Amino acid sequence: MRCSKAQEYLNLDLDGMLPPAATGDLLEHVDKCPTCREYRQDLELSQRLLGATAPTLPDNFDWKLQLKLNQTLKETTGGAAYPWIESGLDRGAWLRNFGTAAAMGMAAVLAFALFLGPMDQSPSSAPMASASLSTLGSDRLPLSSNFARGGTFGRQVRGGSPFTQPVSGGAVLDRGWSGSTFEDLQLIRRLRSENQNLSTRLAQAQLQIRLMRAKLDSTRENALDLPVDEP
Amino acid sequence: MNLSRDDHFNVSPAAARVDLCDVRDEDLIVQVQNGQRKAYDELVSRYKGRLFSFILRMVKDADLAEELTQETLIRVYIHAAKYREIAKFSTWIFTIATNLVRNKMRQKSRRPWTISLNPAPDDDEVPVDPADTRADTSAEVEREELAALINEATSRIPEKYRIPFLLREVDQLSYEEIQQVTGLKLGTVRSRINRARNRFRLLIKPLLKNESLLAELEQIEARAAEDDDNDRH
Repeated sequence: MRCSKAQEYLNLDLDGMLPPAATGDLLEHVDKCPTCREYRQDLELSQRLLGATAPTLPDNFDWKLQLKLNQTLKETTGGAAYPWIESGLDRGAWLRNFGTAAAMGMAAVLAFALFLGPMDQSPSSAPMASASLSTLGSDRLPLSSNFARGGTFGRQVRGGSPFTQPVSGGAVLDRGWSGSTFEDLQLIRRLRSENQNLSTRLAQAQLQIRLMRAKLDSTRENALDLPVDEP
Repeated sequence: MNLSRDDHFNVSPAAARVDLCDVRDEDLIVQVQNGQRKAYDELVSRYKGRLFSFILRMVKDADLAEELTQETLIRVYIHAAKYREIAKFSTWIFTIATNLVRNKMRQKSRRPWTISLNPAPDDDEVPVDPADTRADTSAEVEREELAALINEATSRIPEKYRIPFLLREVDQLSYEEIQQVTGLKLGTVRSRINRARNRFRLLIKPLLKNESLLAELEQIEARAAEDDDNDRH
């Protein structure tokens, strides 16, 4: 075995990583070679010297560390003792929370927009809106009709407000309303409830009409069945 | 919240430490993640000396070494939640320390107005001068003086060899751990450690021949063993 190889093995041996198969050859070489023997001795002494002269920490190290840690926590996390627990540094949790908050925000904006509905409607579109209303059963225009006109949601009620008009039937129902003041909202709510009452009354009237028509029909049938008085 | 120690101990710190002395580092950091401050204190007590020893031999400035040791331990606390047991805790903490040391050394090397008083790289293999230690052969060489000589010799090993060398010799990390800390290949780690050992051996060669120094070394080791026994009891 050459000395360079033996010294490489000696380094491995020092770290306890020499393969068992190589141990015999190495020991044989070291026994015969004074250079490698000295090399091994030097390595062992170097390790001992490094170990014996390990520097010692200042006595107040723990105290200074404590102080610095407190200061760092105060600066970075506002003094939270366990920043990863108390401020939710977990990135996944943060994303989940953000996603939930964003979704809720979007839903709130959409709900608000739907609640207020589009307001800017030209009279020409009224028939279409009325047609849609009959199917939707709502007091607002479908969104598409407003988008088609480039309208926006939540506009302020303009002068000549529909609320000054008599609240009856299609004229009111055909309008999409929105307002920006509390009074507007109150008015909208009041009109909506009035609209609901009218709808109920309409349904009741329609039912009555149907009943009366049925009664009339049956009367006619009976009338046909009646024996015709001979003049 | 103020982190005074008393707030986090139901029992005395010493008693708490006794309970934790058999717990693995990896389990301790999990306890830290769960908000147990005494587990962090145990980790600090286990690693502060090793870290300081490693860092001081890298930067050769006691104040800076203390500062970087604190910084490492603070980062361990602040980023405790990021630790996953895919690597040993010792690997993680020494990776933090090594990165801090490298950054600091890079910053130092960038300053154009500072002049290094270290010997030129060509002088790497010139042995450290033990003249002061041998001036009075009758007197024992103080441990601090010996330590200063060893530190001087260590600082003359080029940085790329010094890091794996110190991680192995001072901190007893395995080759695989050093590989993870440094990002080097296993063969490179091995060869760099061997080169550093050779260089270090040549640098302290005069010390190794000095009988009084060797006697002092034995006394230091004996005192350290006594201290260990006292600590255990």
